Amino acid sequence: MRAETRRRWAIAGLTGPAYLWLTLTIFLPLSAMLWFSFQKKGPFGRHESEFTLKHYEAFFNKAYMQDLTWRSLEMGLQVTGICLLLGFPAAYVLAKRIRGRWREALFLLVVLPFWSNALVRIFSWTVVLRPGGVLDGAVQFVWPGAPSIDLADSWSAVIIGLVHSYLPYMILTCYLSLQAIDDSLIEAARSLGASAMTILWRIVLPLAIPGLAAGAVLIFVPVIGSFFEPKLLGGTQGVVIGTVIEEQFTVVSNWPLGGALSFILLAIVLLVLAVSYPFLKDRMRTT
Amino acid sequence: MSVVEARNVTKRYGEVVALDNVSLVFPEGHFFALLGPSGSGKTTLLRAVAGFVEPEAGEILLDGEDIAHTPAHRRNIGMVFQNYALFPHMNVFDNIAFGLSVRGVSRADARERVHRMLELVRLPGMEERKPRQLSGGQQQRVALARALVTEPKVLLLDEPLGALDKRLRQEMQIELKQIQRAVGITAIFVTHDQEEALTLSDQIAIINDGRLIQIGAPTEIYENPGSVFAASFLGDANVLRGRVEGDAVAVEGVGPVAPRGVLPAQGAPAVVAVRPEKVRILSQASGEACNRLAGRIVQGVFSGTSVTYLVETPAGTQRAFRQNAGERLFADGEGVVLEWSREHTVVVEE
Amino acid sequence: MAQPWEGEGMSRHLVPRLADGMGRVFLALILVFLYVPIAVLALMGFNESVHYALPFEFSTKWYEALASNERLLTASFNSVWIALANTVVATVIGTMAAFALGRFRFRGRTVMQLLLFPPITIPWLIIGTAMLVFFFWTGIGRGLHAMLLGHIALSLPYVIIVIGARMASFGPELEEAAASLGATPLQAFWRVSIPVLMPGIVAAALFAFAVSFDQFVISYFLAPPGISVLPVEIFSAIRKGFTPEVNAISTLVIFVSMGIMLAFARLSKFGGER
Repeated sequence: MRAETRRRWAIAGLTGPAYLWLTLTIFLPLSAMLWFSFQKKGPFGRHESEFTLKHYEAFFNKAYMQDLTWRSLEMGLQVTGICLLLGFPAAYVLAKRIRGRWREALFLLVVLPFWSNALVRIFSWTVVLRPGGVLDGAVQFVWPGAPSIDLADSWSAVIIGLVHSYLPYMILTCYLSLQAIDDSLIEAARSLGASAMTILWRIVLPLAIPGLAAGAVLIFVPVIGSFFEPKLLGGTQGVVIGTVIEEQFTVVSNWPLGGALSFILLAIVLLVLAVSYPFLKDRMRTT
Repeated sequence: MSVVEARNVTKRYGEVVALDNVSLVFPEGHFFALLGPSGSGKTTLLRAVAGFVEPEAGEILLDGEDIAHTPAHRRNIGMVFQNYALFPHMNVFDNIAFGLSVRGVSRADARERVHRMLELVRLPGMEERKPRQLSGGQQQRVALARALVTEPKVLLLDEPLGALDKRLRQEMQIELKQIQRAVGITAIFVTHDQEEALTLSDQIAIINDGRLIQIGAPTEIYENPGSVFAASFLGDANVLRGRVEGDAVAVEGVGPVAPRGVLPAQGAPAVVAVRPEKVRILSQASGEACNRLAGRIVQGVFSGTSVTYLVETPAGTQRAFRQNAGERLFADGEGVVLEWSREHTVVVEE
Repeated sequence: MAQPWEGEGMSRHLVPRLADGMGRVFLALILVFLYVPIAVLALMGFNESVHYALPFEFSTKWYEALASNERLLTASFNSVWIALANTVVATVIGTMAAFALGRFRFRGRTVMQLLLFPPITIPWLIIGTAMLVFFFWTGIGRGLHAMLLGHIALSLPYVIIVIGARMASFGPELEEAAASLGATPLQAFWRVSIPVLMPGIVAAALFAFAVSFDQFVISYFLAPPGISVLPVEIFSAIRKGFTPEVNAISTLVIFVSMGIMLAFARLSKFGGER
């Protein structure tokens, strides 16, 4: 059938460039790094390919690597948890309690910072949190004589910075989920005598789970792989697996180890995605 | 005026057979209806003629030439889509002139032809408007003008009146027919609405499950449905099943029902049908010789100009339709007798 | 005996109202939290003091210093032209791909749609380091050109998704109508599909620009020694102990990014007439 072959060429021609690009710049590099993670030495100079598992073993043998990975996971859980606690109520208020043009405007205001420059936002926190800086000044203003708040170079600063970076994302996904819940469902429940708490717990929350899950996954995954936020805000307190991986490539030049650690991190990410898929599936169906 | 013919057209989508060896002639100058329920294949057939569906087997002949494998843009057809598909970023003039500009017609010529078209569809002076500023009925006319301005050989319409409300639909039905006659073009349209098919078309083809069920002029098909499906889909029908005995069909629990036309062999199962408006409903049997059935009123549906009675009989629920000439309405539960003539009883296939 | 506050009037109306009010206050606090650092950043750019020390004294000297800071200016220029090149390439090939994915049904389609997710869900740390390894190995090396390659790869999924969303609201009838009127597939694509998709294409282009302009992680790993792009410069300036000129440029950057996203939002939500 001539039309059939014409179609095939059209599809190949249209999708070819984009997907070829993705293959060359993402899928092949990932494969290459996987390959190198099993090599003794990085791709410097010419030498025989020497297969080894020592980089992966390094992860399992060295306690500090696992500790750091736990730290990263902890970071992920803390940030995700706080974002959930703050984000869901905020999204609820926005989706259900505010109407009309205000709602669109406020929604835009909430989401805007998220898509601005991530590095600059972290930078702004270093400005705010410095000793003798703005936060300190504000506290002094309200409560003179209080001890100087020095959050710079601390774990708390890292968490604050990450929450600030990712909170809009959680509000966004929860808002979209909540907004899709038909108001008539809530009214029906109310007419059947349900209290506000019951409605929230048994109707709103279950229906909003896809949004919550999406937000949680989309925050947790980048956070456990973050490195510049802990570095800038945490100083010596901000050592996580992300910073270790980064250093393999920039300072230590042990690329195979960096690759191995990256893939271990990637395995964790895939695990998280696989586990959360059932919670996200509902969302897929309604869109 | 062109003749369109589909010959042995088959189209499959994976396991599903959308068109099963369909052969059909669309005579020149006719307004032809493809009638059937959703999923029957009628739209697939239309799209095969249009060029958006390529059949696995068979030919589509336009004036004798097989165009089944010609791409849509090279067939000389005009099509009106279900939701009009007017180009939202162009105004009415550019929409209608699109086909002309693609063919390299000069701006001056195009202007003249578009103007004439707008007169034909009774929308003069609307050139500058954008589609979203038009009502549903106006959009439909623009779509029609756009399809006709290139003087195609055949006009295809996909459920053209489906999106309009009842009053508008009735208006447009008349206009559509007038325009088709005025232009003298062969038109094929798809619909699931049997009333629309009856009012608009010169010929109807009933399609179901990818197969051609019956084809003929509206009155012809209506009075002589060949199958239970045709009888029930185009209009309403009382269907009675039994076995052939003598020159009648012995219906279980009822007795002999005599049809016109040819019966199958003696003793073989047979099905007959009679339309509700041909059935007289009486309090008691008249003395005349005819087909007769006794029953009880289940419900009378009053719709102003008429009443339709649902009558429970030993052969199932039957319908009788009576024009409202001022007679007393039968009450629910009342015993009645249904009578109808042999002339109005047809033998149908299962 | 019933207490006065147990009456219907009180509990039915007061509690929900309080909850409502609290809800709004909460939302306001969240907004304050989101914008305070940005506001502080902006303010401090106009502060006399080098060390961001209070009290606040207005001065524009940092912006003046910025105007003669070669390093930052070059980096800004690089960021902009990379973002522009990225936008052009990603939008063109992304639109083509989105069109094919949206209009045609073919066997690998779902897989191809799924393949769009790894670039945006995998942590950029992993993607950035992988690119570094691969580019080094294949001789592409580091530098602005490498960054461009990487940025385009990151922008593509977003472009395809944004345009795909726009396409979903238009069925294939418009292109079919064009074909029935005699337009070749190319003519139909050019004269009907593209204009109709235009708001989506512009929105996707803005998105692509923002992705590239604000990109740090990938740029960081692919950065050559010396001057590269703005986010990388800002980062090294922060590590070294900075001058408030960095603050000034950062403020400008953040308002540019927010401005772009604002335009994107207006185009994709309120624009796009059906």
